Amino acid sequence: MSSDVTLIIVIATALAFDFTNGFHDTANVVATSISTRALSPRIAVGLAAILNFAGAFISLEVAATVAKGIVDADAITPTIVFAGLIGAIAWNLITWYFGLPSSSSHALIGGVVGAMIAAVGTSAVDGESLLAKVAVPALVAPLVAFSVAGLAILVAYRIVGRLRPGPVNRGFRLGQVMSGGLLALAHGTNDAQKTMGIITLALIAHGDIAADNFHVPTWVVVSSASAIALGTYSGGWRIIRTMGSRIIKMDTAQGFSAQGAGSAVILASSHFGYPLSTTHVISGGVMGAGAARRLSAVKWGVAGNMIVAWILTIPMAGGIGGAAYGLTRVFGTGSLGPVVVSLLCLGLIGAVFGRRLQRGSPITAGARG
Amino acid sequence: MILGSVIDWETLGKVALASLLAGVGVTLAFSLAIVGATRMAEMRRNGRGIEAGAYATLMIVALAVSAAAVAFGVIVMTTK
Repeated sequence: MSSDVTLIIVIATALAFDFTNGFHDTANVVATSISTRALSPRIAVGLAAILNFAGAFISLEVAATVAKGIVDADAITPTIVFAGLIGAIAWNLITWYFGLPSSSSHALIGGVVGAMIAAVGTSAVDGESLLAKVAVPALVAPLVAFSVAGLAILVAYRIVGRLRPGPVNRGFRLGQVMSGGLLALAHGTNDAQKTMGIITLALIAHGDIAADNFHVPTWVVVSSASAIALGTYSGGWRIIRTMGSRIIKMDTAQGFSAQGAGSAVILASSHFGYPLSTTHVISGGVMGAGAARRLSAVKWGVAGNMIVAWILTIPMAGGIGGAAYGLTRVFGTGSLGPVVVSLLCLGLIGAVFGRRLQRGSPITAGARG
Repeated sequence: MILGSVIDWETLGKVALASLLAGVGVTLAFSLAIVGATRMAEMRRNGRGIEAGAYATLMIVALAVSAAAVAFGVIVMTTK
């Protein structure tokens, strides 16, 4: 009975993380299309939600463990997964509140690593693997996307530079529908599978699925796809504003180059099995498309804040994940701990949103800057 | 030393090269499609049928390359 309750809480928390992943990362997919007026905000997030949903069904091959090889898989328990998810959700909400695009994948890895250290100790974490699979790609992703987008925009300006702006803008706006669609599909394929993997692992730990018969049940695929699509449709407008207009003021060619470069880097990394964060790639692409035209076009202060958030993601999500695990264990090893921590988190989120609603309406599609 | 041993330089190089070719290539192709469409309309307005046909061909080929890149992207997603 106690393990049933814990399983239900882990599944609900995983779907909640999936939802925050969707609305936190909407900006990656739609921000450039909205800021260049290639698509209206509502149509952009609606299209992204549909394509994220569809993307979740495209492939299930990588619905394996998040943090695989980074933490000792044999030591993972549902409570550690729960605490890791709490760390990831909390960091996603904090960075969303400050309008900072940060990696949901890194938040999840950080949360699980933190909970694991609190539960088992540092011996359960492979530091070298963390460096190779997380830290180095985090450095590489924005640099590659920055260079590709920078070169792409120079090529684009060279070719269309002598044409009248009207047809050029119309053309690149059409192109952004295509490149944005590809990004949304790629995002759904990559990110929804993390939740599927986590829920499937919880089902294996609970004994509902045999460990030697790893498969993702259909209801897990549908619920994960729905959660990320709903989150995407909710639209994280604060981050959309940062990504779309606070880093650079983009023209349509820059928007297309940033999205095209982002799609190319994400798909190339998928193809060669070198996982990169969608957020880091798109942010690097946006900065590259701006800097290639004029270095001072990029608001480096905003870019600096984002990089600080990226650096803090793993330690902060890890710290919160570790604290969540510690708090859970105060109430014993049963399901009481996860229940209490879940209620506490829901209360905190309700209080923060309640205060914001009292202060004024939240940032929405109609109120975007 | 530690960084040198944990970085998979070969895969990283492949990712960087493929990203560069695909990212710049798609932008190049789509920009050429815009040039083709714009110049084709201008040539047709000026009654220059042969040039309009040449720009229409450029537009179609460039759009086909762009569409092929998107299709390849979807294939990459489905086969990983």
